[in-house]
Amino acid sequence: MSALYALYADGDSAQRAINALQAGGVSRDAITVLSGEPIEDQEFFETDKSTWMWYFASAGGAVGLIFATWLTRMTELAWPIKTGNMPIVSWWPNLIIMFEMTMLFGILAAVLTLLVTARLPGPRPVLYDPEIMDGKILVGVINPANAAAVERALSQPGAEIRRSGN
Amino acid sequence: MSPVSSVVASFGGRESLMAHKWGLAVDLDRCTGCGACVTACHAENNIPTVGPEQAGRGRAMHWLRVERYWEGDFPDVQLKFRPVMCQQCDAAPCEPVCPTYASHHTDEGLNAQVYNRCIGTRYCANACPYNVRFFDFFNPQWPKPLHLQLNPDVSVRGIGVMEKCTFCVQRIQAAQIDAKAGKRELADGEVKPACVQGCSARALVFGDLNDPESEVARLARLPRGERLLEDLGTLPNVTYLSRQTGG
Amino acid sequence: MSEASARKLSDDLLRPLLQTSWRFYVLVAFLGAIVLMGLGTWAYQMYNGFGITGINHPIFWAFYITNFVFWIGISHAGTLISAILRLVNAGWRRPVTRCAEVITAFALMIGALFPIIHLGRPWLFFWLMPYPSSRQIWPNFRSPLVWDFFAITTYLTGSVLFLVLPMIPDFALVRDRTTGLRHRIYGVLALGWQGTPKQWHRLESAMQIMAIAIIPVAVSVHTIVSFDFSMAPVPMWHSTMFGPYFVAGAIFSGIAGLIIAMAALRKFLHLEAYLHPVHFQNLGKLLLLMSLLWAYFVFAERLTIWYGNEPSEIAVMYVTQKGSFAPLYWTMVVCNFVIPFTILSLRKLRTIPGCVIASFGVLIGMWLERFLIVVPSLGHKYLPYSWGVYRPRPVEIIITISTFAAMTLLYVLFSKFVPIISIWEMKAGDHPSPALSAAASHEHALGETHA
Repeated sequence: MSALYALYADGDSAQRAINALQAGGVSRDAITVLSGEPIEDQEFFETDKSTWMWYFASAGGAVGLIFATWLTRMTELAWPIKTGNMPIVSWWPNLIIMFEMTMLFGILAAVLTLLVTARLPGPRPVLYDPEIMDGKILVGVINPANAAAVERALSQPGAEIRRSGN
Repeated sequence: MSPVSSVVASFGGRESLMAHKWGLAVDLDRCTGCGACVTACHAENNIPTVGPEQAGRGRAMHWLRVERYWEGDFPDVQLKFRPVMCQQCDAAPCEPVCPTYASHHTDEGLNAQVYNRCIGTRYCANACPYNVRFFDFFNPQWPKPLHLQLNPDVSVRGIGVMEKCTFCVQRIQAAQIDAKAGKRELADGEVKPACVQGCSARALVFGDLNDPESEVARLARLPRGERLLEDLGTLPNVTYLSRQTGG
Repeated sequence: MSEASARKLSDDLLRPLLQTSWRFYVLVAFLGAIVLMGLGTWAYQMYNGFGITGINHPIFWAFYITNFVFWIGISHAGTLISAILRLVNAGWRRPVTRCAEVITAFALMIGALFPIIHLGRPWLFFWLMPYPSSRQIWPNFRSPLVWDFFAITTYLTGSVLFLVLPMIPDFALVRDRTTGLRHRIYGVLALGWQGTPKQWHRLESAMQIMAIAIIPVAVSVHTIVSFDFSMAPVPMWHSTMFGPYFVAGAIFSGIAGLIIAMAALRKFLHLEAYLHPVHFQNLGKLLLLMSLLWAYFVFAERLTIWYGNEPSEIAVMYVTQKGSFAPLYWTMVVCNFVIPFTILSLRKLRTIPGCVIASFGVLIGMWLERFLIVVPSLGHKYLPYSWGVYRPRPVEIIITISTFAAMTLLYVLFSKFVPIISIWEMKAGDHPSPALSAAASHEHALGETHA
C-alpha cells in the first residue's frame, strides 16, 4: 500500500485541497481526511453532517419505555401481592421505572449508533501520521491512480507533502 | 371512625368481602401493666432476650411492649399502661417500601413478614409510625438447655432480618386447620394469640372483625374505642378502649 | 491552534501519564492502606453481624445512609459542569469537564456501595434486580429502594459512557506518544480511532445526545434518593419539598467537590496554565448561588414547620435547632452558608485558596446536613415512648473515612493513566465555530488557552 498525503496547518487549506482532489476526479471515498481535533468551522464533506443518531436514540428511548411498562405491569400482575392499600398495578411508581428505562435505552442506542457508524472498534488506520495530534490536518489518497494529479491537487499553500508505504 | 379514616377507607380500605379479618381490642381499663402478655409473646414466638448491654443500646426485641406513662404531678399522679403491638394496618406504610415483598398484606387482613425474603434494608421499620418492627442485630443464642423451650411452630429468625408481631398467625393457621378437619366454622374466641391467652385481666380480645357478632367487632364499635395515630391514615386493626374512670 | 501551542498542550497534559515521581507511590500506598482497612472493616461487619454498628431501635438508618446520600450528591458535579455547560456552549468548561465527569463516575460507584453495606443480609442484594427467578418473585416496584436501583444504574451507565467516549481520541494521542506495552494497551483502548470528520461528527452528536439525556437523569436520581425519605410517614421526612431540596443540595456539594479536585490537580500536576483563577471564580460564583439556594430551601421548610406547629414535626425541628443536635446543626449552617457566603461574595476573597476553603466547609456542612435529615427524625417519631439516641461506632467511622480515601485514590490513579484534562477538547476550543465565537471579555476569552 502506498499513499500520498499532505499536512495542512488550518482547515481552509485542507478544504481547498479536498475540493481540488474532487475536481480532479478522485471519489469521495478515496480521500482520507484525519485531524487531531474536530474542525468545527469546516464541513469537509457535505454528507458528513447528516446523522440518524437522533432517530436511533429516540427509537431506543421508545423501546425502553415499552420495556419498562411491560416489565412493571407484567411482574405486578404475575403474582399479585397487596402492599399498603396500593393498587396491584401502581402507575405512579411505575412511571419512575418507565422514565429511567427510557433514558437508559436512549443513551445506549446513541452510543451503539456511534460505535457502529464511526466503525469503532476498528482496525488500525491504514493511512496515519502522528503529527495530526499537533494540530495538523491530513488530506491524502491511498494508492492514487494518478499520483501527479493528486500531488498537484494537494499542493495548497502551506502543505507538507509526504509519501508513506512502499 | 374519624373523618380522616372514613375518607381513606373509601379508597378501597376495608375489604369487607374477606372470609376473616383479624383484629384485636385492648381494654385500657382492665390492663394492669403486669407484662404477662409480653412474656407470653416471647415464649410463643421464640423471641430472644438480647441481654442488658444490647437492651441498653436500644436493641430489645419486644414484639409487644407495655408503654408506661406517668401523668400529672405529685400527689395527683396517674399511671397509665398501653400495650402496643403491630397494628396490622390496612394501609400499612411498611408494606410498599419493602423492595423484596417481604412485608405484604394477606387476604385475612394481616401484615405478613416473610423472613426468607427479607434482606434487611430496615426501611419498613423506619416507615412504621408505631415502631413495632424489630431487627435481628445478631444471631440469637439459646444456650442449652434453653433451646428446649423453643416453639416448633414458629421459625427462629437469623441475623439480618426484620420481625414483628404476627397476631400469632401460627395459632390462627392451626385453628383453621382444626376447623376444616372438623368440617365446622371457627368459633369466636377459638383463636387466642399468646398475649390474649396470657392476660389475666382479660384486657385483650382477639377475633374476626368481619363477623359482626364477634366480641372484638362489638368492642371496636364502642364509643370509647379509639385507634392509635389514626390521623396518619394507616387504618390500624387494633382498637384501644380508653379508660372510663377519671381520664 | 498553532503547531507549537498544540504540542505544548499535549506535552503538558500528558506529562502526568509519562512521568511518575516517588510521591505518587507514597500517596497511593497511604490511600490504599486506608481503603484496605475500610474493606476489612466491612468484611468484619459481615462476619460478626450488623450489631457491631450503632444502629438501634428506632434509629435504623444512620451513617451508611448518610454516606449514601452524600456520595450520590457529590456525583452531581460532573453533570452540571459537563452537560449543562456543553449545552449552553460555555467555553470555560473545556479544561474542567473531564475532572468533573470523573468525580461523578467514582462518587456514584462509592455511593452505590452503601445500599449494600447497610443491608442486614448484603449477600442477597441482587434481589433488587428484576430477573426471572425460580421463586417466580420480582422486586417490588413500589419501593423507593427499587427506584434507587434503576435510577443509579441508569445514571452510572450514562455517566461512565459520557466519561469514556471522549477519552477515545485522547487514548489515540497517548498511543502515538508511547512505546512498548503502553503503546499496545492504549492502542487497544483507542479502538482504532482515526480522526476522520465523520468520526468526529458522530462523537460530538453522541455527546450532545447524552448531555441532553443525562441532565434529567441526574435530576431524577437525587430526587429518587430523596424519595427514600419522603415516602415514609416520619416527621420532617414526609415533605413534598424533598425532591428539589435534595437536587439543589447535591449540585451544591458536587461543585464543592469539583473545586477541591481541580485545585489539587492544578497544584500537584502543575496545570496552572490550563486551570486559571477565573475558572475557580466562575465555579465559586456557582457555589455561592447554590449556597443561597440551599439556605432558601432550609428557610422555606423550617418556616412552614414552625408556622404549622404540628407537634411531631416541631419536636424534630427543635431537637435539631435547640436540643441535642444543636451543635451539629449550627456547625452545618456556618459551614454551608456563613462561610461560603462571606468568602465567595467578596471578590477579594474569591481566590483559589478562598474557594477551596469554602468548598471544604461545604463538604463538611453537607455531610452534616444529610446526617441531620436522617437521624433526628428517626429518633423522634410519633410515639415518644420509642424515641431513641444514636452514637456511631468505630466500624461506621472507619468505613466513612475509607470512602474519602477511596475517592482520592481512584482519582489519583485515574489521573495517572488518563489525561485529566480533555486534550482534544482543549484544542478544539481554540477555534470555536465562527457563528458562536463571542467577543472576548477582559477576563477570559471564550475557550482560549494561554500557552
